[in-house]
Amino acid sequence: MEFPVKPGEYDAMNYIPHTESHGTKELWKTFWILLGITIFDFIIYFWLDPSGFRNFIFIFFGIVKAYYIVGAFMHLKHEKINLALIILVPTIFIIGLIMGLLYEGNAITWMK
Amino acid sequence: MANSTQAAFEKQPMWAGGRSPFNVSYGKLMMWIFLLSDAFTFSSLLVQYGAQRFSNVVSPVTTKWPDPASIFNHFPFIHGVHLPLLFVSVMTFILIASSVTMVLAVEAGHRNSRKEVEKYMILTIIGGAMFLGCQAWEWYTFIHEGARLHSNMFGITEQGYAHLSKIDFGDPFHWADGDRTNGPVPFAALFFIVTGFHGFHVFSGVVINVVVYIMTVRGVFEKRGHYEMIEKAGLYWHFVDLVWVFVFTFFYLI
Repeated sequence: MEFPVKPGEYDAMNYIPHTESHGTKELWKTFWILLGITIFDFIIYFWLDPSGFRNFIFIFFGIVKAYYIVGAFMHLKHEKINLALIILVPTIFIIGLIMGLLYEGNAITWMK
Repeated sequence: MANSTQAAFEKQPMWAGGRSPFNVSYGKLMMWIFLLSDAFTFSSLLVQYGAQRFSNVVSPVTTKWPDPASIFNHFPFIHGVHLPLLFVSVMTFILIASSVTMVLAVEAGHRNSRKEVEKYMILTIIGGAMFLGCQAWEWYTFIHEGARLHSNMFGITEQGYAHLSKIDFGDPFHWADGDRTNGPVPFAALFFIVTGFHGFHVFSGVVINVVVYIMTVRGVFEKRGHYEMIEKAGLYWHFVDLVWVFVFTFFYLI
């Protein structure tokens, strides 16, 4: 293995990658998408009666919003895939926990 | 720090140590790790909320989970009118807008434009403060209506259901006698805990933004040659917005 830089000469502790502006176009686009989804949620809320389908729409668009906030605003889309994966993969397990506990919670209803 | 040194640094063997395998600075990586742990904190609160809510879905009516539309239906300066979701939508808009000004500050930081960073940081701080004000009003109204951490006055009776199902958006609204009874306790408790925890995060975010703004004004980042601190504060601020997306979905929409 080759080490072009000797340890201590320039190390990870004071490494600041050079960043460049990519313009504000993507950011404003994301803003309009987020605003649009919020208004859409508002319309759906009064348009449809409460149902599992309506809840599915809300959760689905909540996840879409999360994608845009994390991807564009928090810049994770443009980071190395390594970093994106260590952030995103653990959160998959949360989904499993939610599914499991909602099922159990529902079962408790019938035990009461 | 010559550019050639940095380029060589990024070409070192990825996992052999002495470099960042993620091509981000130490501080930013640690901010991401902190946000991941914070995501788990909020997830555990929301999972708790979901389990409690799903365990109170059927009759008898008194143990049923209250309908958020019948409770969070107030708007400042408009009294006695049924306006569900309107006020939280305004709060959501404020938070999204302050997220945008934050990301514009980050972008200005990439161009080393100190004046613009200052302008956008001020706007972000104002947005955060407005959101906190809205949340204080929301809590004040909810407590005024009789909500407490250890009890829930929003169990709705059969009569209450009949009464509430008839009102539409914008109708005059007030609770009649016999509409309400004691309901599932976790309803108000979890509302206070989760929105309180989120509100505390917003408060910390505003404090961090104020500190970063003062550092910008004093030229600390200009001397340092880069505005990375804005990015780190920005990551935290967007995370707070992200959490609000889910609080908004689970506490108000569903």
